[in-house]
Amino acid sequence: MYTSKNPYRPVKTIVLDVITETPTIKTFVLQPETPISFETGQFIEFSVPGCGEAPFTPSSRPSVSDTLEVTIMRVGKVTTRIHELKKNDIVGLRGPFGSRYPVELFKDKEVLVIGGGCGFAPVRSLMYKLFEIRGDLKKLVFRGGCRNPKEFLYRDELESWTNKNDLNIRLTVDKSDGDTVWKHDVGLVTTILGDVGMDVKNGFAVVCGPPIMMKFTTGTLLDMGFREDNIFLSMEKNMSCGIGKCGHCRIGTYYACKDGPVFRYDAIKKFPNIWD
Amino acid sequence: MYYISENNFSRFLQICDDDYDVFLPVKKGNNRFFTRYTQQIQQPVVGEVRTSDPLKAFFFRAREKVARDFEDGMPAESRKPACIVGVKACDLAGFKVQDSVFINNDYLDPFYKNERENNLIISSDCTCAIDTCFCLALGIKPYPIENFDINLTPLENGYLVEVGSEAGIKIVEIHSQLFTEPNESQKNERDTIREHTKDAVEKNIRNYTIPLKDKFEGIIEKNYESDIWQDEASTCVECGACNAICPTCHCFLLYDQKDEKKMERLRIWDSCMIKDFARVAGGANPREKLWMRLRNRFEKKFDFFPKIADIYACTGCGRCVSACPAKIDIRNVLKRLVHNVYK
Repeated sequence: MYTSKNPYRPVKTIVLDVITETPTIKTFVLQPETPISFETGQFIEFSVPGCGEAPFTPSSRPSVSDTLEVTIMRVGKVTTRIHELKKNDIVGLRGPFGSRYPVELFKDKEVLVIGGGCGFAPVRSLMYKLFEIRGDLKKLVFRGGCRNPKEFLYRDELESWTNKNDLNIRLTVDKSDGDTVWKHDVGLVTTILGDVGMDVKNGFAVVCGPPIMMKFTTGTLLDMGFREDNIFLSMEKNMSCGIGKCGHCRIGTYYACKDGPVFRYDAIKKFPNIWD
Repeated sequence: MYYISENNFSRFLQICDDDYDVFLPVKKGNNRFFTRYTQQIQQPVVGEVRTSDPLKAFFFRAREKVARDFEDGMPAESRKPACIVGVKACDLAGFKVQDSVFINNDYLDPFYKNERENNLIISSDCTCAIDTCFCLALGIKPYPIENFDINLTPLENGYLVEVGSEAGIKIVEIHSQLFTEPNESQKNERDTIREHTKDAVEKNIRNYTIPLKDKFEGIIEKNYESDIWQDEASTCVECGACNAICPTCHCFLLYDQKDEKKMERLRIWDSCMIKDFARVAGGANPREKLWMRLRNRFEKKFDFFPKIADIYACTGCGRCVSACPAKIDIRNVLKRLVHNVYK
């Protein structure tokens, strides 16, 4: 829960490091003046003074509170300015806001986590959490898809996960683009779900990625037999105030910033055009 | 209940001016609008009907500095609290929506809360109706029954006074020499005025065959795929006037001032009719087309707020009817939506 007296005030934050992940994606290591402890799936508002603010879900370990990492794709005005940031620059953070991944439900259950493209960022934070509580989970499956190997976020780290004995993992790219080092699958992420080997009726699934990827992946999960109330989605909307007031991120009777961004599929499926 | 003469009321306003920034309605042509009180104002229009500008501007300001220099707390404002005179029932009804957004929510907006606690509201009965008035269709009477500190009914040479809050009781007590007991004929005069105004609004509702709110349930869901939206949006110029003047519209933009050295954030009114309102930087826009945004505006008012707060986010003030350069008429849209369901 947000504790500041003024919910619009950002906390002064120093940029500790900037890591170039792909040609369009960078990770920023941030240290807020007062620690911001988030739970996996929640988001923060990241602002550059004089430029503006945008929402991101941290990609780092939720158990670490003095610093946090945010992985950001350069797409718009604010993210372009963020990509110009250097070590020791001053920025602002607000939050954390919104709902989290309900990891406590996963105890003694089988869990499938599916990330797509930039959606790896929130999912990485979730996976760190799940690795910490791996002993409580019956089974952990990860499926990751990206457009091409060049844009494959956290590629080395995800490759290293393939050596984990307690993780069933497959990675894929839509097109290999002639990358000779790419030794994983080629095809949409929905094509590598057939061998998850899960008790789907009782298993949980978490999906985070671009809207079109989430739409088709959710469809596939339902076809496989996953229950609607066991599928969790991270919805991307124009979350601005973070506290359900500014009106920009409404989905049906919810605001993505306050009631989401993590939604149970059955809670939002009745609303029209959720994937747009 | 009290009575205050016109002369005493002028003195009362002078007294209020010490502790408050007093605003009262004046009339130019056919429009009434709030202006800052001075003793030179000869003809405030306390009665009649609502102003052109909505009351919300004194509570959820069009432009508010909400953060500066990363400091916690609120940027200090040097202004006094506002005392707003001649507020009408349709504006007061807007508080139900604004309060539900800014106060009765998981999070509190400290700026709005401050204004709500500190501003003084001296409301008044409507003494007539203009063509666009249809409050009764929304179940709102053309005279205040709640959310005011003091309410006035304009009589021949003074006002009948009703107090509606602790702050109202206190201020009348302190200045009790200005107030007297009303007599029976003054009380009767109030009833006559109220009946007369109700009749005038009812006449509007009949003339325009405006549906009443008991017919509104489900009109958005049942008309979601209707061609009414495209038809009604065909003349819309996306100016956002309907949002700006609406007593219930609450959407805003957080805007950071362009000074890279100094962090300063403004909260300014926004409009859901504008194309980029819900667009995300990646390009996805859930309401790409103008008619979808028009539908969204009605969905918010007649589906979202009834579901989350049990209120219709329209008070029948008719401001959007007057403000729309494209002549989109909320009464007509409602009529078409209801007709489609009950035909």
